Amino acid sequence: MTRSDSRPGSDAADGTAHGDWTAPGDPGDPDDLASGGDDAYAVPSDAPVVECPRCGRPFARERHRDLHVGVDHADLDADERAAYEAASEDERAELRRFRIVSLGLLVALYFGFLFLYAVVG
Amino acid sequence: MRRLPRPSDLAGRTGPALVALVVALASAGRVAAHAGGVRSATRGSITVPTWLFLATGGAVVGASFLLSSAVTDRAYIRFIDTWGRRLPDAGRAARPLGRLLGVVALAVTVAAGLFGPADAGGNAAVLLVWVGWWGVFVLSSYLVGNAWPAVDPFRAVAGVVPSLDRDYPDRLGAWPAVGGLLALVYLEVVTPLADDPRLLAGVVLGYLGLSVAGSVVVGVDDWFGNADPISRLLSAYGRVAPLTRTDDGTRFRVPGMGLTDADWVDGRDDVGFVVAVVFVTTYDGFVGTGPWAAVARPLVEAGVPALVVYLAAMVGGYALFLALYLAAARAARRTADTYLAPAALARRFAPSLLAIAAGYHLAHNLATVLQLAPTLAVAVASPLSASPTLPRLIVPDWVGGVGVAAVLAGHLLAVWVAHSTAYGLFPDRLQAVRSQYGVTVAMVAYTMASLWIVSRPGGAPPFV
Repeated sequence: MTRSDSRPGSDAADGTAHGDWTAPGDPGDPDDLASGGDDAYAVPSDAPVVECPRCGRPFARERHRDLHVGVDHADLDADERAAYEAASEDERAELRRFRIVSLGLLVALYFGFLFLYAVVG
Repeated sequence: MRRLPRPSDLAGRTGPALVALVVALASAGRVAAHAGGVRSATRGSITVPTWLFLATGGAVVGASFLLSSAVTDRAYIRFIDTWGRRLPDAGRAARPLGRLLGVVALAVTVAAGLFGPADAGGNAAVLLVWVGWWGVFVLSSYLVGNAWPAVDPFRAVAGVVPSLDRDYPDRLGAWPAVGGLLALVYLEVVTPLADDPRLLAGVVLGYLGLSVAGSVVVGVDDWFGNADPISRLLSAYGRVAPLTRTDDGTRFRVPGMGLTDADWVDGRDDVGFVVAVVFVTTYDGFVGTGPWAAVARPLVEAGVPALVVYLAAMVGGYALFLALYLAAARAARRTADTYLAPAALARRFAPSLLAIAAGYHLAHNLATVLQLAPTLAVAVASPLSASPTLPRLIVPDWVGGVGVAAVLAGHLLAVWVAHSTAYGLFPDRLQAVRSQYGVTVAMVAYTMASLWIVSRPGGAPPFV
C-alpha cells in the first residue's frame, strides 16, 4: 500500500493527480484536496511558505509539508521518507499530548456537571 | 402544524450528569417543534436553571468533539468514509411511475385545498403537504435517499412546457434558492399556511407558476438544479442519507458520508444555502418566543408594519448566521495554521451542519407523522368531502425517545463528518483537530441558542 492510499475522501485514489493545482490555465482540478479550484489557497504576501517540491502546494510549516509528501504522494525517495518519518514521530508525540489533555477535559466536564447537578438540581 | 395535537412532552427530569445530558438533548429535540410549519405552544418541563440547561447542551457537543478527536487512524476514517456498495439503478418503468405519483399528489392537493372541507384537521391538502410531504417525504430523504427528482411534480409539469433556454447566470448560483427557502418560511410564519386549505392551495399553485416561469426562461435542468428551493433542500437532506447518487450510479454508504464529498458544495452560494437550512429552523422557533414579542412590540406600536419587522428579523438573522459561520471558517484557517483559503474551508465544513438539521427534523416530526398517518389515509380517500371520523394513532411514549436519539445522532454525525472532512483536508492530524475548534464553537453556540429558544414559553408568532 502506498501512502497515497491512506487519505480519506473521494480524492484518495488519485495519488499525485492533483499535483497541478497551480498549472497555468488549469481551471481547477475537481479532485483537488480542497475542491476549491482556483481559490483553494490564499497565502498572505509576507508569510513564510514551505512548498511541496512535487505539487507546489503551500504550507506554513515544514512538518506539514513533510507529512503531506508522505500522505499524498507515492514513491518517496530516501530523504523524503526520512523527513516523513521524523515528522510522523513528532506528530504522534503531539497527538499523545492532545489525547491526555482531551481526556482530562472530558473527566473535568463529567465531574463538573455531576457536581453542578448535585448542588443546583 | 400549529393546531394539530402535540405528542406529550417527553423530556425527562434532572438526574445524574449523563442522564442530564440526554435530557438536554431531549429538550433540544423540542427546538425542532418550531420547525417548518409546525409549532409547539407548550413549555417544556425544565427543572434546572436555564444557564445549567444551556451549558449542558453545549457540553454534550463539545464532549463529542473531544471523543471523535480521539480517533486518529487515517485508514480507519477513510474506510468509514468510502465504504459502500453500488446498487442497481431503478428500472426504466420507475421513472414515469414516480412522475405520475407526484403529479397525482399535486392534483389531489390543489383540488382538496380549493374544494375540500374548510377544516384544516381533516383537509387532504393540509395533511398531504404537512404530514405526507413535509413529514414523511422529507424524513425519507435523509433516512433513505432523496427521491424528489423522480417524483417532483413541479418539474414534471414544467418539463412539458417549451423553454426559451436562456443561459442561467452563473453568478446567481444557488442564491435564488436561498431567497426562495427564506421566502417560503417567511410565508409559513406570517400566514396561517397550516390552518387554511385555500391559502395553502394558492401557495402551491403560485409555486407551480413560478417553477414553470423559471423553466420557460432558463430551462428545466438549470432552474431545478440551481434556483428551485425545494429541490435544493431535499438534495441537501439527501446527502445525509445512506443512499446517495454519485457519478457511477446509486451507492449505499454509511449515513452522512455523502456530506464529506468535496464536489458538492462548490461555491459561497452553496454555503449560503446550507446556512439557510439551519437558520430557518431557528427563526421559526424564535418568532414564537416572548423575547421576540418584547423586541417586536415597541416597533409595531411605533407604526412599523409587522410584516416588515418579521422580514427584517429574517434577513438580519440570516446575515448574522452566515457571518458567524464564515467567522468560524476563518478561525479554522488560523487555528489549523494552513494556507487553505477561508472560502474553501467554509465550503468543506458547511455540509456537516445538515446532519444536525436532519436530527431536529426527525425529532419533531416522527410522532406527528405516526399520529396523523391514518388521518391522512382517510382524508386522501375522499379529498373533497369531510370525513365523519378522523382516526388518529395513539403514539406510545417511547417514540419520543427515538426523537431524542435522533437529535443526539445528528450532533454526533455532524461532529464526525467535520472530523472526517478535516482528515481529508490536512496532512497533519494536529491540524485536522485544531481546524475544528471554530466549527465546534459554532455548533456549541447553535445548540445553546436552540435550547434557549426552547426554554422560553412558546406560542404562535404575535402581530401576524
